[in-house]
Amino acid sequence: MNEEIHTLSGAYALNALPLRELGEFEGHLSRCETCAIEVRGLRETAARLGVAVAEAPPRALKARVMAQIAEVRQEPPVVAGEPAEPEVVVPLRRGRGRWALALAAVAAVAAVSAGVVAVNEIRARDASIQETQSLLAAPDAVVRKVKMVGGGTATVVASAAYGKVMFTSDLPALDPSKTYQMWVIGGERVRSAGTMDGGGVRTATVGLPEGTDHVGVTVEPAGGSQQPTTDPIMLAKVTA
Amino acid sequence: MGFVNDVVPISVTGRGPELDELLVLVARGDETAFERLYDKLIASVFGLIRRVVRDRAQAEEVAQEVMVEVWRTAARFDPARGGAMSWVMTVAHRRAVDRVRSAQASSDRENRVAQMGADVAYDHVAETVTTRLEGERVRRCLDGLTELQRQAVTMAYYGGYSYPEVAGLLKVPLGTVKTRMRDGLVRLRDCMGVER
Repeated sequence: MNEEIHTLSGAYALNALPLRELGEFEGHLSRCETCAIEVRGLRETAARLGVAVAEAPPRALKARVMAQIAEVRQEPPVVAGEPAEPEVVVPLRRGRGRWALALAAVAAVAAVSAGVVAVNEIRARDASIQETQSLLAAPDAVVRKVKMVGGGTATVVASAAYGKVMFTSDLPALDPSKTYQMWVIGGERVRSAGTMDGGGVRTATVGLPEGTDHVGVTVEPAGGSQQPTTDPIMLAKVTA
Repeated sequence: MGFVNDVVPISVTGRGPELDELLVLVARGDETAFERLYDKLIASVFGLIRRVVRDRAQAEEVAQEVMVEVWRTAARFDPARGGAMSWVMTVAHRRAVDRVRSAQASSDRENRVAQMGADVAYDHVAETVTTRLEGERVRRCLDGLTELQRQAVTMAYYGGYSYPEVAGLLKVPLGTVKTRMRDGLVRLRDCMGVER
């Protein structure tokens, strides 16, 4: 990772990054534990600058806040054992939730007809730097860091406005009879976004059809499948 | 209470562990804990927002948004990843900065930046920082920075300026401002004894 982006940690801790670089730096942060630790310390430091200018607000403010929280529902707690970041979508190994059911259902049907359809290898594997920057700079860009089943993490960046989703992860090599396949999911509809091989860091940027709310990755027989035939090894929500 | 026994919270005010425990209780819907947290943090939250936003009525609005956001998203707080004070102040600063950078404000700000001579801008910041900082230690640590480090950090944090704006105001290259923000904060961190 280049040194250039690393120097943004100070500006990041001060909330002084323009939108474009914010997405870029947060992407970097999700892969750089040293940077995350540094940012934590710099944020603690910045907080003290804030504490140093403390000023009592009008008393009426408290009554307004207390009245309002009585009517605001809290976000649910993060389930123990899951990563604390609320952005993270847990892989569906445990079979919870609607997406697991939807994927299992289509997998059951697809198992019968698998192998009939040729699936394109993802072509835009290495998107141009400009394309990546545009995606990160999109006003509605969503950046997720997701745990992969079997270990490792993936980073997913999606923008409905820009119409693209980027997936990147260090993917273990697969037996030649198998391939990774990426899926775009909207409601009950699961569509292939193409296949990719493993054996190193892979980045795939593909179109994000309108109405897509999740992207997933499964391991499929070589050549790919029309619909998923196995449980996803990664599933990420791509809406805000 | 044993929630945070396995971590060493980084204390900003010397009441860190207590704040962490309160925020953990808030995440469980404890309104009494929220009220106590409010009492302990609101002056810092409001002071910071007012410093960035300036306008008192707007600062009150933003402070209200921040405290409601703290209530709503308390479950995201993880004491292992930093203290409650830092977490709340980050929410407060982000909201304050969002307010001053919002679309409507942006043209005003650009005009302001264009009209304001760099000297005026940072003299003003320097003056308010030195006269109004309460924490003796914070002031001493700020004094330990180089002039450019101090300007870069305080204009971003108290002024709510992005680093390109700071570079424009100080008439120094972008890369220099980025670096000064980082090494300035690092020096402050070491001076203040923030745990890493």
